[in-house]
Amino acid sequence: MESIGIIVAFWALAVTTVGAALGVLVSRNLLHAIFFLITSFLGMAGLFITLSADFIAAAQVLIYAGAISVLLVFAMMLTPLASRDNANSLYLAPGALAGLGLAAIVGFVAVDTPWAELAGSTLAERSFPDTVRTIGAQLIGRYVLAFELASVLLLFALIGAVVLVHDRAAERGAAAAAEEAGTGPREEAT
Amino acid sequence: MRDILGHSLNFQYELLLPEIIIAITATLVVGADAFRNELRLGRRILPWLSVIGLVAALVVSLLWIDTQRNFARLITIDNYTTFFRVLFTATAIVVIVGSHEYVERHIGHIGEFYALILLSTVGAIYMAAARDLLTAYVAIEVLSFSLYVAVSLARNDPRSGEAALKYTLLGGVASAMLLYGLSLLYGVAGSTQYTEISGALAAGTGGMTLPLILGLVLIVAGLGFKASAVPFHMYTPDAYEGAPLPITAYISATSKAAVLALFLRWFSGPLLPALPDWQWMVALIAVLTMGLGNLVALQQRNIKRLLAYSSIGQVGYMLMAITTVSVVSASALLLHIGGYLVTNLAVFMAVIAFYNRTGTEEISGFRGLAQTNPYLALVITAGMFSLGGMPLLAGFLTKFILFTAAADGGFLWLATFAVIMSTVSLYYYLQVIKQMYLYQPDGDARRWRLSPTGYLTTAVLLAGTVVLGVYATPLYTLADRATRVLFV
Repeated sequence: MESIGIIVAFWALAVTTVGAALGVLVSRNLLHAIFFLITSFLGMAGLFITLSADFIAAAQVLIYAGAISVLLVFAMMLTPLASRDNANSLYLAPGALAGLGLAAIVGFVAVDTPWAELAGSTLAERSFPDTVRTIGAQLIGRYVLAFELASVLLLFALIGAVVLVHDRAAERGAAAAAEEAGTGPREEAT
Repeated sequence: MRDILGHSLNFQYELLLPEIIIAITATLVVGADAFRNELRLGRRILPWLSVIGLVAALVVSLLWIDTQRNFARLITIDNYTTFFRVLFTATAIVVIVGSHEYVERHIGHIGEFYALILLSTVGAIYMAAARDLLTAYVAIEVLSFSLYVAVSLARNDPRSGEAALKYTLLGGVASAMLLYGLSLLYGVAGSTQYTEISGALAAGTGGMTLPLILGLVLIVAGLGFKASAVPFHMYTPDAYEGAPLPITAYISATSKAAVLALFLRWFSGPLLPALPDWQWMVALIAVLTMGLGNLVALQQRNIKRLLAYSSIGQVGYMLMAITTVSVVSASALLLHIGGYLVTNLAVFMAVIAFYNRTGTEEISGFRGLAQTNPYLALVITAGMFSLGGMPLLAGFLTKFILFTAAADGGFLWLATFAVIMSTVSLYYYLQVIKQMYLYQPDGDARRWRLSPTGYLTTAVLLAGTVVLGVYATPLYTLADRATRVLFV
């Protein structure tokens, strides 16, 4: 972090990200909260760019700011009573206190530590042309196992999501209809 | 292929064969369930298919006894891995065989039930086998995600959805804490590889003690949640109560053993150089877990909640072995995990058989079981006594070795506390036994029989409980061989 541009960008993005995140908590209207969340996601993507992590920044915009926020809006609009007040404030004071305490600890540790980071000439020697190629090669090369494991995980997360929202009344109705037709497999005799 | 530090990487996929078999079986089970009508498959095909896959995986995993190899420096195949491969596949087999009748009656999505058990077994194995923080994390998530969904599978039980929601939300927070702790550890050690981390920490952290401690706090909290250690246990009783019984059994067995396996792998390997920084944390959590788990169990009326708190207490004993990490306490821990799994599954399989007949989970419902089904009462009694640590049963011997190891490791006060709490635990185990033997049955006093698979699983587990209590040398030898590779 040498050049003035990066420093200005960092602080601007940091303020955007944290401010928007606070907005998510403070806003009473769920839709406003979602828009604050999107702003926070975009600020985060900007922070990734200042770290030369272009692929992660793009993924952040596409997946979080794009897909997930659209999903959230849909979920909110399709849920009855979603527009009611989004929180009670019973634990506001202890929650804020605990949050501030935690932030203070983490902040102190992060600032106080002499991190072994690249700086000065060693940083300048590294070139970061693009990270997509490297990440892609690592994912299906070096870390192929974690990649495969994650893909199995996602498959079953998908199945799990279907199972969770599956309308059981409809299933029972279908089973009863199938039984009437004489093809109900789950009800066959032992 | 070489990694960034110049280590050569081998991609011998045959080393992963057991997990590949299990994962393929899981997808086959889902597929067979989806097309059951079209293919005209009987309803018993799914448990059969699952068990065949698991047995194949178990047999294949025996190929690598006494080898020391790794897959791309991400997964280690050594005796420790083999021990847990066998343990977890065997647990899954027992749960599936012992619960298929329950599943047909009380589970809404049968194919998904078996597939999720299979998949979570893969996650559990990789938690014990990983040698890279990220792989371990993905494995934890595979296990957790499968269980989040599995908890919600009970049909017509509103508690199930509530349990799943609590488990998922709190589990997500715990995962986030763990991940943040791991990122701090990476910042300090500069690598995600266990071997590199242990080297970096042994060489000194260079003024980075604070982030290391913060990272350790978060890691212990995250793992403590997954193992349901106090004070991160809040979700456990609700999740146990709401989940279908076989899933409760599975969580209390595989999920706990997997987290303890990961705990041991981390704290005896990469994190061992930081021993002074984390020993007190784990000791503190162990004391709280033993104390609160056993004391709150005294007031439970529901058998699932009782077993939930009892399993929390058991985790406290196991964490004690982590505190005094050494070759002796590590093998004692593995022995205790083995004994606990056998005993706990015996109790759960008996409770499942009981539930299939009576449909009640209340402890008072066990009234007069000694008259209506003396065999089942015997199994539950043996299991409860073993969990409480009565001599001649598995629980006594494994606890004895575990407590001795802790006392020898310089934590006599911890071992003393464990003995006291173990005595307390006998009280609530005896409550269940009292209901079965000292009271008359409430309504129907006719004798009833278990199903053949019910007899099979409970008999095998009962035999295991008794044999381990008298002659545990073979298991102890295996545990010893498995843990030798941890301390090199």
